[in-house]
Amino acid sequence: MSWLSRFFGGAGNASLSPEQRARLDVWRRLPSADISRSHQLTRYVVADVEASGLNMVKDSLIAIGAVAVVNGMIQLADAFEVVLRQDEVSTHANILIHGIGGSAQQEGVDPVEALLSFLEYAGKAPLVAYHAEFDRRMIAGAMKKYFGTNIELQWIDLAWVMPELFRDRVNGRIELDEWLQMFGIDNIQRHNAVSDAYATAKLTQVAITQGAAQGRDTARAFIETERARRSLRRAD
Amino acid sequence: MSSSATKMLVDATVELLKRHSPFDRMEPQALAFLAEKSQLGYFPKDATIVSPDMGPVNTFYIIQRGKVQAKQTGDINVTEYSSLTLGTGEGFPIGSVMARRASTNAYIAIEDTFCYQLPADDFVQLMQMSQPFNLFCTQYIATLLNQSRRQLQVQFSQRAAEQQSMNSPLSAIITKKPVCVTPETPIRQVVETMVAGHVGSMVVVDAEHRPIGIFTQSDAMKRILLPGLPLDGPISSVMSKHPHALSDHSPVYDAALAMAMHSVRHVLAVDEEGKLQGVVSERDLFTLQRVGLRQIRQTIEGATDIQALKQAGADVRQLALNMLAQGVGAEQLTQFISALNDTVTRRVIQLNLAEHDLYGIEWAWLAFGSEGRDEQTFSTDQDNGIVFICTDIQNRDELELRLLDFSQHVNRDLDTVGFTYCKGNIMACNPELCLTLEGWEEKFDRWIRVPEPQALLNASIFFDFRVLYGASHLGDRLRMSLLAMARNTPVFLRMMAANAMQVQPPLGKIRDFLTDLEPDYPGCIDLKKYGARIFIDAARIFALATGVHNTNTVQRIKLSSQRLGVQAEEAAAIIEGFNYIQLLRLRHQHFETEHGRPGDNCINPDLLNELDRRILKESFRQARKLQQRLKLDYQL
Repeated sequence: MSWLSRFFGGAGNASLSPEQRARLDVWRRLPSADISRSHQLTRYVVADVEASGLNMVKDSLIAIGAVAVVNGMIQLADAFEVVLRQDEVSTHANILIHGIGGSAQQEGVDPVEALLSFLEYAGKAPLVAYHAEFDRRMIAGAMKKYFGTNIELQWIDLAWVMPELFRDRVNGRIELDEWLQMFGIDNIQRHNAVSDAYATAKLTQVAITQGAAQGRDTARAFIETERARRSLRRAD
Repeated sequence: MSSSATKMLVDATVELLKRHSPFDRMEPQALAFLAEKSQLGYFPKDATIVSPDMGPVNTFYIIQRGKVQAKQTGDINVTEYSSLTLGTGEGFPIGSVMARRASTNAYIAIEDTFCYQLPADDFVQLMQMSQPFNLFCTQYIATLLNQSRRQLQVQFSQRAAEQQSMNSPLSAIITKKPVCVTPETPIRQVVETMVAGHVGSMVVVDAEHRPIGIFTQSDAMKRILLPGLPLDGPISSVMSKHPHALSDHSPVYDAALAMAMHSVRHVLAVDEEGKLQGVVSERDLFTLQRVGLRQIRQTIEGATDIQALKQAGADVRQLALNMLAQGVGAEQLTQFISALNDTVTRRVIQLNLAEHDLYGIEWAWLAFGSEGRDEQTFSTDQDNGIVFICTDIQNRDELELRLLDFSQHVNRDLDTVGFTYCKGNIMACNPELCLTLEGWEEKFDRWIRVPEPQALLNASIFFDFRVLYGASHLGDRLRMSLLAMARNTPVFLRMMAANAMQVQPPLGKIRDFLTDLEPDYPGCIDLKKYGARIFIDAARIFALATGVHNTNTVQRIKLSSQRLGVQAEEAAAIIEGFNYIQLLRLRHQHFETEHGRPGDNCINPDLLNELDRRILKESFRQARKLQQRLKLDYQL
């Protein structure tokens, strides 16, 4: 039955306590973010995940790190990190990448609690990441697994948006590290979810400043930029 | 919010800050507070972060990454730089955020820059929390005060090698051991040494190593090559005697001033015993201070007509403005302006002498007022006269006519080159001011014996005379008799003192400043009338009372205070106050003229920042102290 419950949800949802279900409902009832407001009046949550590997279907979500960019500013005190408790510790090679050791993985937060706390931290704010597809699918997959239901989150992928904003500087997609170097952004600790999110948050500041100068002063403009760029690239 | 995530960002911030002063000395909990309360902002290249028109500053910025340039934009500033580049770990604008006032500087990102931003309230709390941070901020303010007091010079460049300034002692810029020879050394050997060592000048010293002459490359051309002098003669036969020497403790600007005044290219630095320590050449100064002092002086001295001098007059002004922008202090600056204006005036006189035959007449051109005191500001009109000697065999009326005719032309040409005619007709072409030595003595004697108001006013202008051209001993003689007359007539000095007390510094009992004294300039203070003049008048009285020959206010205060037994620090504070007011005047005049207005002396204290106001207030207090001293000395 367990594999069925994963498909049909109901039973999975049952693993949420009434209190947890109430918290999820509170989140659901939050008004959607107004994506037509200026960057300077928007809260973005820049997120980064660590997983047991790069396979978005098989691998599991280990940690989420997030930093908020509120009205254009990074709030150092408003950052988020959670390690999800793992039933099965990831491989040694994987541990070496993100540095979250076996015991830390086992001592992590209950996954439902972890994901709920992330939702409560993020609210309905648009999420930003570099290569957001990976972060989006890892988080969506985990929520589906532990909440037993689909949670739709709004993502913006800087990997698509940045080349469009800096067409005069770069041709085509380049790696995150190259962008960071271009704007003199240091990464405190590579492959740490918070540190990566912090670096990406600074890149987000660059993006929204440049976007505003080009008339792309809203989250919606970024979403549309990303969509247009994606379809254009597919047509190539 | 998650404590582990925040801790990571806060720790990283603390780590970065700890690499810089004053954060390296701060308590861990204060640093954590700073990091937790900070937000990170991003400013692309060329973005303005803070500017004066943004109003009161409510954020303190610390650069995380990038470069920010601070540029002075305001009318009147106290900082020692005109522009300064800040890098990682440096904070701004400390003064403004403490005082919650608009910044006097504009801060512009000169590359993509990230800044930690701390709200002003948290900044204040941090100051209360952390002793080292508090000390840093208050010391920063104190340094600012100091800087404006002492008027430290510009940081020409960030590079340490170039961080010398016009205020540093000569010993600081002497890098090479001087090359010197004894007077008996044969010319050939001297020239050979100069060629071999690539030196432009050779100092001739006596047995005690005291300089007695100098020989330069250009001397070799003029004095040996062209006359075809034998090379085995002693160097003493061709050297320039009595070279200009200064103590190696003298500031660099003294050397520059000597070069400007005496048209020499080298100044020797000597120690207390007069022994040679080094040679300062004009080139040494210009790597230091990139001003075209020499070019301007050459233009002036080489000018063959008034039109050329007119250009030079404009150059002097521009040079002075550059120096002002570079932070050269008021005392130095007013002396430079006076020295260069002197050079212009002398050249005008020389050009006119070619057309007016004054041969056989012993005469001197006198400068009065601010020019007589070496205290000229940008707005300068003429104040001059002539003193001459009429011997028994000469016809006095005829001499006077010749001199008056000559003066008329000089006054006209001075007007052409930019020194406007004196409205009060204090000019050499006025027969009242073209007098024999006895004539001047009689005039002075009359004013001193009958000190009615007009006489006291005249005294304040004419007693500050200085010989600008011609027989300087006439000036010395006139000074001697003036001092003798003044000393013998105590009632005159008392009247002068009473006169000097008629205007008081505009310090309010409730408000900081009285700004309604000038009906035409509501809200403003006339810095000349209610500031500088109080110092000048008092200094004149002290100088006359103690027999000080100098006319310069700072010199008068220095020398007379010694004779009066005033504490050196007390005198220094008075001089600082005077210099500060002069600096404000110069900056204000600069600003006014840049905006096409005639430079006046009326400033609105509300437009000054908190620091300037405090210093100005202190300066006025010093003026009041001077007046209290007069009151006491003359029982007024």
